[in-house]
Amino acid sequence: MIAKLALQSLADRKGSVMLSLLAMTVSIFVLLGVEHIRHQTKQNFSSTVSGVDLIVGARTGSLNLLLYSVFRIGSPTNNIRWQTYENITNNNQVKWAIPISLGDSHKGYRVLGTTKSYFQHFSYGKKRHLAFSDGREFNQVFDLVLGSEVANKLGYKLGDKVVLAHGIAATSFSMHDDRPFTVVGILATTGTPVDQTLHVSLQGIEAIHIDWQQGVKIPNSGLTQSELEQVELQPKSITAFMLGLKSKIATFQIQRNINEYKLEPVVAILPGVALSELWRMIGVLENALILVSALVFIAACLGVSSMLLASIRERRYEIQLLRIIGAPPYFLFLLIELEAFLITLLSCVFGSGLLVACLALLQDYLVYQYGIHIESNLLNQNSLYLIAAILSASIIVSIIPSFNGYRKAKSTLL
Amino acid sequence: MAIELTDIRFYYSDRPENIVLNIPSWSLSTGEQAFVQGPSGGGKSTLLGLLSGMLVPSEGKVTVLGQRLDKMSSRQRDQFRAMHIGYVFQQFNLMPYLNAIDNVLLATQFSNRKNTSLLNEIKTLFNGLNIPEKEWNRPTRDLSIGQQQRVAIARALINKPQILIADEPTSSLDRENSEAFMRLLMPIVAENRITLLFVSHDQSLATYFTKVESLNDFNRVEGLG
Repeated sequence: MIAKLALQSLADRKGSVMLSLLAMTVSIFVLLGVEHIRHQTKQNFSSTVSGVDLIVGARTGSLNLLLYSVFRIGSPTNNIRWQTYENITNNNQVKWAIPISLGDSHKGYRVLGTTKSYFQHFSYGKKRHLAFSDGREFNQVFDLVLGSEVANKLGYKLGDKVVLAHGIAATSFSMHDDRPFTVVGILATTGTPVDQTLHVSLQGIEAIHIDWQQGVKIPNSGLTQSELEQVELQPKSITAFMLGLKSKIATFQIQRNINEYKLEPVVAILPGVALSELWRMIGVLENALILVSALVFIAACLGVSSMLLASIRERRYEIQLLRIIGAPPYFLFLLIELEAFLITLLSCVFGSGLLVACLALLQDYLVYQYGIHIESNLLNQNSLYLIAAILSASIIVSIIPSFNGYRKAKSTLL
Repeated sequence: MAIELTDIRFYYSDRPENIVLNIPSWSLSTGEQAFVQGPSGGGKSTLLGLLSGMLVPSEGKVTVLGQRLDKMSSRQRDQFRAMHIGYVFQQFNLMPYLNAIDNVLLATQFSNRKNTSLLNEIKTLFNGLNIPEKEWNRPTRDLSIGQQQRVAIARALINKPQILIADEPTSSLDRENSEAFMRLLMPIVAENRITLLFVSHDQSLATYFTKVESLNDFNRVEGLG
């Protein structure tokens, strides 16, 4: 009965209640949204790379190296010589190495030149290795392996011919159109930047650049596709490489050795350390966002409270009536708390519904534009805790109008 | 005795010199129907507050149905009121957004009355009070004033109170509706042996009552100076 009373009483005050409900819904939408996206991106980020002990590249900031080698964001400062790669990986502590060569793209997706060890040793998430949903690794110079999203979005299937573009702009005017690649494999979805990458062999990268000097195509070699496949395509430089070591204990030793490498300025970073450094940077922004959305929510709570407080005056006769039929003053306290709770609960339902709908709609866009994969499923422990916190906060804030109602009820005369 | 007041004095604690009520002795026997005439501002609301347990006297004894209200805690008085006293105001007797049935059900929330045939009882009451069935499920604000006052009687009687206090219940009704209201109320009260305290300034209604009094006759405020 008390719930019915509260609901009907709220329904009776549609105008002001709807506005409070709307404000509350928006604030909960923002709060849940920020928290959810934060949680998801953190998970995404930290699962992007695992099992890699060191990443080595031309000397630069560790964040920059991490961003371009793992996240395909930004551009490499410089390349390192192949000789350097050979020298460093010759160390008997090195278990495996994955060279990476960046700089080309296809319709906005980055092209990664590497070797077969990439498919054997690169892992993400909880040490999960790459798997093929279709096809196989590259064997020939002009073989191409697609990330799942590239294949999905661009509609490529095995056997398709793909022309790569020079440079990393989404719209490029200098195409490697004389040397098309053939899709031989499509990777299973990983939820990491791998999905947005086209993988070719280092030899493939060499082959398409054989006619190029200083970033301009000089088509004079006249080598045919088949002739190229015969030529020794030894890469002269690569962008970076990832190392797996035999023993974790050696990591710092190897890192120091690399950082003190005399023949070329190179730097080795620990991906875990760089990731958490990156996360700390983003964390500041995130905390600011959380703070702002929490403040928006508090404002909405206060809005609901002031609406209820104002209603107490116009409900003088209702209070008197409740008292005369025997309602103790604390009943009014409970009634107003319940009204606030119902508004917040409804707002939670609307807010999370809205959020799920928005995420479902924006999911593709976010993946395409930012490479962020956000689950639209809100049902995780985190959001449930947050909703519990939201409900408790609203109960606490509405102590103000509820206590006012209690006092009014206590002092009600006839 | 249904109601007994002894040596009652009431004043607000911040103004002890301004005595609102001073009743040396007043009582109402069980099943009696009393008409009390009192001008507004003559301590009428305070008297009804004392009898319903909304207020306690500054001095004196309030005995209702053999129990000392002035000795009870406020929680006990709320409970006592819910179980034993029905009350009808001049207006605002109902939650305007609830329908007639829910309004009556609401009144059973605080009386500890466990009853499985509650809905049947409500229907019987409504039928006895000439409330057409099609109005039962409409928000009471859509009912006529006369109908609202009749639902108010049902609301006041659902807990089978021994005492019914009616505070100017006909003042918002026209002559015809007032008469109809009284003709419905009096037999129900008599039938259930309910002690009725009917307060009004409308002297013409006094004809329905066996005991007619004026508040000024037993409230000796002037005599104190």
